[in-house]
Amino acid sequence: MRAPAGLISAVVAIVIWQAATTIWPLANSSVPTATATLARLWEMLFMSETWASIWLTVQMALLGFLIALAIAIPFGVLIGLSRFALISTKFTFDFFKVIPPIVIIPITILVFGPTQQMGVFLVVFALVFALAIQTAYGVRDTDPVLIETMKCYGLGRTRQVLYARLPAAAPFIAVGIRISVSAAMIVAVVAGLVGGAPGLGRDLLLSQTSGENAQTFAIVLILGILGLAISRLVVLIQRRVIFWSPS
Amino acid sequence: MTSLLNSRIIRFLVGIWLPLLLIWWWWTASADSVDPFFPPLSAIWEQFKFNWIWQLFPVHVVPSLRNLFVGYSIGIIAGVVFGALLGSSRRVSRYFEPLIDFFRSIPPVATVPVFILLFGLDANMRIAAVAVAATFPTLLSTMQGFRGTDSTLLDTGNVFRLTKFQMMWKLRIPSASPLIWSGFQVSLQIAFVVTIASEILGSGFGIGAFTVMSSDSFMILDAWTGVLLMGLIGFALNVIFDIIEKRSLHWYFGQKKLTR
Repeated sequence: MRAPAGLISAVVAIVIWQAATTIWPLANSSVPTATATLARLWEMLFMSETWASIWLTVQMALLGFLIALAIAIPFGVLIGLSRFALISTKFTFDFFKVIPPIVIIPITILVFGPTQQMGVFLVVFALVFALAIQTAYGVRDTDPVLIETMKCYGLGRTRQVLYARLPAAAPFIAVGIRISVSAAMIVAVVAGLVGGAPGLGRDLLLSQTSGENAQTFAIVLILGILGLAISRLVVLIQRRVIFWSPS
Repeated sequence: MTSLLNSRIIRFLVGIWLPLLLIWWWWTASADSVDPFFPPLSAIWEQFKFNWIWQLFPVHVVPSLRNLFVGYSIGIIAGVVFGALLGSSRRVSRYFEPLIDFFRSIPPVATVPVFILLFGLDANMRIAAVAVAATFPTLLSTMQGFRGTDSTLLDTGNVFRLTKFQMMWKLRIPSASPLIWSGFQVSLQIAFVVTIASEILGSGFGIGAFTVMSSDSFMILDAWTGVLLMGLIGFALNVIFDIIEKRSLHWYFGQKKLTR
């Protein structure tokens, strides 16, 4: 039932867009018509530059995400093991967690220049604190009886972490990952749009400033499709990997 | 140690040592810095006081905050209204959900060029971009909140013959409000990002525009003061939000504590 409803609403939305830009109220404005945008989108699908840009953006997001994960999970486990460490880092982490990466772009652009490295750095900055906090809370959430039992059987700390704490933290980490992947893509685009890092973000800025309006809209559509595809993919993968947790 | 940590004062002291250490480390490590990109923190601080208390405050900070709050308010009101409509009727939401899913997958900042095409570079463009970006998180969580209303609650309301209006105000909205508030919070964070992005891309005035212009013209100290100010505002917005949320949802947090 769902796909037809989606198809109908998509068609209706495109018809309204087309009518608005050809008849009223956006006729002869700088907003491109639906047909012009879709035609441009179709052309772009066969251009290698488009796919190169998509790949550059995804690459920044993916690399930043993996680095953030590699830092945040061990660190999160460590601070999650001790209440003192958790409270000590809470304020600092919360502070950096709520600072959006766009805020530091004016500095990173000086240090890195408008490069892919800058994009990767911004993605790491955007994700690492939230992921570490999430992991730490997950580790703390381990069933205490389970830990006591393991202690009774003389299992050491390493095994407690490996067999009890990490599996208990996995659903928490999974939520963090789901949010992080979308956030990583967004930051990779922002790094291009605002900071000039290569990829879809920069393409968007260039096409907007050079007045190629159909292309501007087409890139926004590509970003929407890409975002949707990635979030679906993550849910799909997670269902298979963390099969023991509901949701 | 663990029992000591239950005291609020001790928790506060434990929480504060790391930030203090970091600031102290930044201050001393940068004291003799000749790196052009990392000037001494003391110099940044002097410039910060000079710029923002209060010389440039009305020129850049006031318009930024105004655009943020106007856009945010419009966005969350629209989000709650549409979210409530879509959350109350499955038949309607079936048609809108795919579209909403698509639009919220577009990075909010990426819509700024579209708004520039529609509105030009002025304040209206900024407010519109912020409003639209702020709508989606609130809309989605309001929708979810309205769907999740406990059916026993609604049945009880029916038994007591509450009118539709009473059902709305006494049952549906209160039971959805924790989720609505979490939508408000995400909306606020996104609204802040889009505010800055709209200033950077729209150029001219605003904290974001000031900071990027400083950075582009290698006025490094000014750029640092802008970054610090934006960071502090971003943090302060979250803190203020938390306080207001706790006040408004005190009954909910009380309930949660009891069930724990």
